[in-house]
Amino acid sequence: MVGFLIIVGFELLGMGLHRLGIPLPGGVLGLLLFATALATGLVKVEWVERTAAFLLRHMLLLFIPVMAGLTQMSAELRHDGVALLASLVVSLLAVLLTTGGLAHFLLRDVKIDDLSALENE
Amino acid sequence: MRLLAEVFNGPAFAIGITIGLYWISLHVHSRFPWANPLVTASMVLVLLLYLLHISYAHYRTGGQVFSWLLGPATVALGVPMYKQGVKLKGSLRRLLVVVLAGSVVGMVTAGLVAWMFGASHEVIMSTLPKSVTTPIAIQVSENLHGNPAITAAMVLISGLLGSIVGPSVLRMSRIQHDHAIGAAIGTSSHALGTASLLSHSEVQGSVSSLAMAMAGVITSILAMLLSWFWH
Repeated sequence: MVGFLIIVGFELLGMGLHRLGIPLPGGVLGLLLFATALATGLVKVEWVERTAAFLLRHMLLLFIPVMAGLTQMSAELRHDGVALLASLVVSLLAVLLTTGGLAHFLLRDVKIDDLSALENE
Repeated sequence: MRLLAEVFNGPAFAIGITIGLYWISLHVHSRFPWANPLVTASMVLVLLLYLLHISYAHYRTGGQVFSWLLGPATVALGVPMYKQGVKLKGSLRRLLVVVLAGSVVGMVTAGLVAWMFGASHEVIMSTLPKSVTTPIAIQVSENLHGNPAITAAMVLISGLLGSIVGPSVLRMSRIQHDHAIGAAIGTSSHALGTASLLSHSEVQGSVSSLAMAMAGVITSILAMLLSWFWH
């Protein structure tokens, strides 16, 4: 519960800063502040770990109402359907291949102990 | 009958049915791995709403609780961002370059293709944030004067498509390194892609969740710069 309170607190802080004129989305500001607070030790990982893991593990649940809502906007989607679908497919492949290809060259020599540290997670 | 309709149209029923269908679709997924739980749950939900004569507007009164939780879920990304950031300290800067390149390519190609197909300014703007996680994408779309509903649709469909075909596309392109797969899926297919990677590889999933958080932040900064230049 404390974890949830801290996370919602950072979201509110981010939204407040957005209202004050910082042009980044409130959620992103909240995320940046929250990550900074964790990195500086202001917020201990143990306080928020379980809440965050719960929220992220069940993220699919949070998408269900939005997904069901797609049926409501079939008119808009049909109007620009071809443009949207083409944009989606081309862009998806472009991102996958640029990111994957570049990472293949830049990250292939990442140390083995990094990997084992991750495997033990 | 009247009473029953009242219950069906209330928020408690909406919340209950959503959690129930989610739970069932997770079980279906464990029996039939090809059945994406989000697709199963939403399709059955749409069908149920239709059969029980519940309007989407009524369902929303309870269903919006879940949409609201997407905000805290965005902030919660700070935890994997911090934890994976510590572990991947040595390659953090390189990962940032990779994700930055992917995000720029994603925004440019999405907007360009929509423009080539004659889409309106509003629709073009709605496609730009389509690679990042829904709560961030919706806010970016609003800032760019796009249509957040179109953006949400694009985000969901590219997330689904990326999580289904992404790994095979990468394999066919001989991109096999765990970090490269994680970076590519996290940058292109946000939470949906990350969730599917996590189900079989901790390393790929970790890199993917870090990449998706980075992509969300980078895309909103790029969109901010774009809206400054535009005016």
